[in-house]
Amino acid sequence: MPVITKDLVSVLINTGGSTRVAKPVAPRFRVGDRVLVRTLNPEHHTRLPRYARGKRGTVEHDHGVFVFPDTSAHDEGEKPQHVYTVRFVARELWGPSAPERDTLRLDLWDDYLDPAP
Amino acid sequence: MAEHAHTAPPSDPELRIKALESLLAEKKLIDPAAVDAIIETYETKIGPRNGARVVARAWTDPEYKARLLADATKAIAELGFSGAQGEDMVVVENTEEVHNVVVCTLCSCYPWPTLGLPPVWYKAAPYRARVVSDPRGVLLEFGTVVSDDVEVRVWDSNAELRYLVLPRRPEGTDGWSEEQLAALVSRDSMIGTATIPTPAPGAAP
Amino acid sequence: MNGVHDLGGMHGFGPINPEPNEPVFHHEWERRVFGVMMAAFGGGHFNVDQFRHGIERMGAVEYLSGSYYEHWLHALEALLQEHGTITVDELASKWKQFAEGAH
Repeated sequence: MPVITKDLVSVLINTGGSTRVAKPVAPRFRVGDRVLVRTLNPEHHTRLPRYARGKRGTVEHDHGVFVFPDTSAHDEGEKPQHVYTVRFVARELWGPSAPERDTLRLDLWDDYLDPAP
Repeated sequence: MAEHAHTAPPSDPELRIKALESLLAEKKLIDPAAVDAIIETYETKIGPRNGARVVARAWTDPEYKARLLADATKAIAELGFSGAQGEDMVVVENTEEVHNVVVCTLCSCYPWPTLGLPPVWYKAAPYRARVVSDPRGVLLEFGTVVSDDVEVRVWDSNAELRYLVLPRRPEGTDGWSEEQLAALVSRDSMIGTATIPTPAPGAAP
Repeated sequence: MNGVHDLGGMHGFGPINPEPNEPVFHHEWERRVFGVMMAAFGGGHFNVDQFRHGIERMGAVEYLSGSYYEHWLHALEALLQEHGTITVDELASKWKQFAEGAH
């Protein structure tokens, strides 16, 4: 493993380490698709917050292919897949007391989503 | 590690990090001079002044703004800002119809190259818990009132995209230089918890 | 995991209380935790997902009562031991050395 020396610091900071993966993986959804977030309760690492599980939203943007954290955190490989910005209306997440106009965006991996029935 | 449960770490974090750094340096796995350089970079070179330059450029150069909204990572790199925790950037624009605010509910994801390291409140439970479900209430705590006819749009940035808010340019700044405008842009206006007040008449330097 | 880190939508944490003119770091030890973490991350000792999970696996009470850089320190110590980079005995002997040296 490379030891970060003083000379390498600016490379480390200015380059960073994108988790974007340059592999042709087919997206499961398209912009405009209605999706239902899966109801999952994994004991492992996940980037799917509880408040979004079981909620309906709309795919607003496809950001391309990224490493999947749920496997990457556990030495189970990159499992590269698309990440989408999904739009939720606030009332879908928080109920009728939320202002009708307000919304929330969440970036979600393919494996967190199903087509909305 | 259950068999070592009796070896509880000391409560003093100062002692613990000294011990860890010393051990890693002895094993030649880290270089303390590099650790110094990393700290210095984030204390002196990387902070919200970088983001303010991006915002001021977008306010004064419509073509730059178009590039910024289309491919933020690339447009931000034009000004020399890139890298760790800003590898994949998105810029979201506040308008008459939409007010954006950014959070990371699961940890503390934040666009380091443009805003530096996050403030304590951004990383702490009260903000992360509440800004998703009651953004207008949270904004009020920052003294920010968003009119009922404006959509509040919360970005919970738990994946690897990092978000910077492009705040609205305040009235009364026609003819201001990019540098003068950048001085108006606060960190919180680029997180979305604040807006930028109209400067007092005659405030332009 | 359904840990306490998954804070979105929870009530009862009180006001936000932003600190005016906040410094980048509040203590010297926070500086060192940040720098050591970045150097170890850059050296490939763990990936970002392992690091985040290292924080999430803290006990709920410890997570909520500890500051951000205490979370980082916890994850650093845990991951470097789990990956065999250091042992708890090596660390404990350093703790002893620095605790004695401090007085």
